[in-house]
Amino acid sequence: MSLRVLTSIVCLCIATAVSAEAPPAGFAASFVQTRTVPNFDTPIISRGNMRYDKMQGFHWEITAPYHYLFEMNGKQAHEELPDGTKRDLDPDQTPWLAAVEHIFISALSGDRAELLAYFSVVSTPAADGTHLTLTPKPGAIASAISRIEVEESAPGQPRHLQIFETSGGHMDIRFSPLAAKPPS
Amino acid sequence: MKPGLSPAARWTLWLVSLGVLCAAAAVRLDPQRVIDTDILAMLPPEQGSTAVASATEQSRDAFVDEVLILVSGEDGPATRAAAQAASIAAANHGLKPDATGESLDRLLSVYQAHRYTLLDGSQAQRLATGGPAALTNDIATNLASPAGMVDVFGSDPGGHLAAFLGSLPRPYPGFLPDGPFFSALKDGKRYFLVRTELQGSAFAEQGSRQAAEAVQAAKAAAQVACPACEVSYTGAPLFADAARRSAQSESAWLSVASTLLIMLLIAWVFRSFAPHVLAGLQLLASVLAASAAVILCFGSIEIITLVFGTTLLGIAIDYAFLYFSEYWFGEAAPEKVMGAVRPGLYMGMLTGVAAFAFLLLAGFPALTQFAVFSVAGLLEAGLLVVLLFPVSLTRTPQVPVNAAVLWPQRFIQAACRAHWRRAVLPIVALLLAAPGWLMLHTSDDVRSLQNLPPAMLATDEHIRMTLGQVPPPGFFLEEAPDLQQALQHEEALFAGVSAGAPQLSNLGLSRFLPSESSQQRSLAAWQKVFADPRALRTSFVHLGLPAKLADRTLAEWQQAPHAPFTSEQVFTAAPDLKRFVIADGSRLALLSTVTGGTDIDPDTLSAYAARVPGAVFVDPLARVAATFQRLRVRSTWLVILGYLLISALLVWRYGRREALRMLFPPLLAMGLTLGALGWLGEPVNIFVVVALILILGLGRDYAVFLREGGARRSPALAVSLSALTMLFSFGLLALSGIPALHVFGVATLVGILASYLSAPLSLPPAQEPA
Repeated sequence: MSLRVLTSIVCLCIATAVSAEAPPAGFAASFVQTRTVPNFDTPIISRGNMRYDKMQGFHWEITAPYHYLFEMNGKQAHEELPDGTKRDLDPDQTPWLAAVEHIFISALSGDRAELLAYFSVVSTPAADGTHLTLTPKPGAIASAISRIEVEESAPGQPRHLQIFETSGGHMDIRFSPLAAKPPS
Repeated sequence: MKPGLSPAARWTLWLVSLGVLCAAAAVRLDPQRVIDTDILAMLPPEQGSTAVASATEQSRDAFVDEVLILVSGEDGPATRAAAQAASIAAANHGLKPDATGESLDRLLSVYQAHRYTLLDGSQAQRLATGGPAALTNDIATNLASPAGMVDVFGSDPGGHLAAFLGSLPRPYPGFLPDGPFFSALKDGKRYFLVRTELQGSAFAEQGSRQAAEAVQAAKAAAQVACPACEVSYTGAPLFADAARRSAQSESAWLSVASTLLIMLLIAWVFRSFAPHVLAGLQLLASVLAASAAVILCFGSIEIITLVFGTTLLGIAIDYAFLYFSEYWFGEAAPEKVMGAVRPGLYMGMLTGVAAFAFLLLAGFPALTQFAVFSVAGLLEAGLLVVLLFPVSLTRTPQVPVNAAVLWPQRFIQAACRAHWRRAVLPIVALLLAAPGWLMLHTSDDVRSLQNLPPAMLATDEHIRMTLGQVPPPGFFLEEAPDLQQALQHEEALFAGVSAGAPQLSNLGLSRFLPSESSQQRSLAAWQKVFADPRALRTSFVHLGLPAKLADRTLAEWQQAPHAPFTSEQVFTAAPDLKRFVIADGSRLALLSTVTGGTDIDPDTLSAYAARVPGAVFVDPLARVAATFQRLRVRSTWLVILGYLLISALLVWRYGRREALRMLFPPLLAMGLTLGALGWLGEPVNIFVVVALILILGLGRDYAVFLREGGARRSPALAVSLSALTMLFSFGLLALSGIPALHVFGVATLVGILASYLSAPLSLPPAQEPA
């Protein structure tokens, strides 16, 4: 379980982590997620929005074709499921939360060490930003993920994220930045 | 012994008797385990259920051979390389690499093939009630959640297999399996745990030494691969090695110190080389015979018996001093010395052997070894005096009587004079001791038997804290006629514990192998989900998921086996899981435990167990302490019975009035010893009881020697020399780092001093020297 969350959060924090000199206060975007499952020819598409910042933590919301919400702040996290059920994730019963929170906070504060502990990062300048390729170092992540590719329009502003799984599955997320939400 | 036996015959008889004993011991000797450092092996077999005994042994075996090497560093790849190097070096030195990673892979295959059998009770209930809608909700959640973006297991759309795998007990909560290692990232450092297992016995000298050498080699190899990395290690074999080295070193210096002091004393008193040779021969022979007798009876000798054996130096020389004193400074001619000392020597040996032989009835392996060691040593020492001394000391000695010879006699004579001090001083001493009796406390903690290096303990605690591995307070045992019923009992027990103490993590076979009824319940729930394919498609479409995904999910269910997986499959994949099973004849028991808390109350766990048929909670440390307590009480009664027997012997030999007079000094010494222990805050444990046996024995010997010889020069000298040598050998144990030996030393130090000072009370007042 930790592998999945960790991977996704790390990916979403890539831009921040690699631009350690000027970490942004946060990021907010809508997205379109296209998931390709091995031996299944129909892609599964969903839409939603996400944001993260130091004060409010991480917010991940699917709005279509159904509603789903995941929020994490500190070590506390909760979910709203498609059938409307709400549940808190107990940090004691979900130890991966602590690891995710640690990496997430480190990334937000511009600490590359956590990220570089898991991935080899290659940054290539592109015409409209930067192209990053993350290759997992030997270990648990490498058994599940072949590589992660990120395109960012500016430091801390991911535009396109792709996760290539070892099983043959593929995840494609395209972000459209939103105006920063004022702190409530 | 026939007086006419020639010197050659006497030497031959002695050599043959000792040689036969040693040869028999050599045949019986276990070469892999000559000196045993396993303290717990000295305990008696577990009382009650044999399943409890097997489980105690099995739970102990599960970790005693484990050696953990923790490699940490800031550079992940370099640290991994260092861990790899450490693992190879440890393997080259005989530490078997852990196969948990391979077992997990094989288990994963079993679980993947039977993933529809793995729903827990609440999941099965939810799917059975919610049907297709519940599954669709799970799949939609898994697809949407940032925790479900990567499907590691290929076809687990609802994340049910992942949930089962995620809930499996983890041996190190802070670490995750990582190839051949367990790894974690903490405080900016990458940690790799190299788990290894010693293939020999952790408590045998060879095994523990091999483990110690292997971790040193592993550390060196890791630091070559990554000089900046830190390497620490822990494990029972390493503690056993440290305990063995500490005990051997302590034994060596105690032996050397007591031997040197005794030799100086002999030189000062006898001014001759002959006593050194004869006493040295006697000590060597008695320790050799004692060790051989123990090995003959038990196959090996416990380290603590060996340490106690050094104290036998004092006992063995006691009879020699009786002979030497009479020969050098007595009135008898050389050829009459044996006749003069024989009554005291035989009576001393008889009562000494009787006192130690009573320990054979204690039912405590350690005490049994001490008894065998002591009885054999005493008999050998006495045999050597009887056989060899008369033919070795034949010329009339020419050593002048010096001050060292005269003051013991003067002391005995002064103490025998009818004076108010003779009555008042013992009473005053007892009055001073009395408050100490009220301050006495008992301790039966098995940990006092060991003196573990603080640095090693600190490293062990640091590693366990880093790993998040809190030692459980004990274990549960679920007995049933067969495995399936035992698994059901365990599931019921775990459900109770989880409901009452959700912070605890349950560890038992049922976490890896759900009972057949649990698996059938899971399959039944899935059957309800897939019973109506149209409803499943409708449910998928309703949430905006492709209908084809419903078809695919249904096809996977139809192709999967719909039978529970078996214990054979699980044990083949992960043989280590067999450790949870205790086969006990026609019945079977499962071993399980809980982890995750530092303050788990054993009574609460016992209460959880009491609600489940056939389940009990076992606290091994408490059981060991209870065993020690039981033995302490039993030994105390044996001492009392032994003393009554000795009293009868004394009454038979000396009459009731004299016997009572002779019994008073040893009892006074015992009272003063207990008072001193109370004042000093030292605990009364089984080893103090052994010390009291010794004190009573010495006091009785002194009384016999004086009663047989009167306040003459030679018995007075023999008693004084005996007391001094006893103080040198037993009293030195007060300096031991092993708590049990320390308190033994303190008790004997006080007791021997009191025995010696009160010894003249065994003679009637105003008796004049002969």
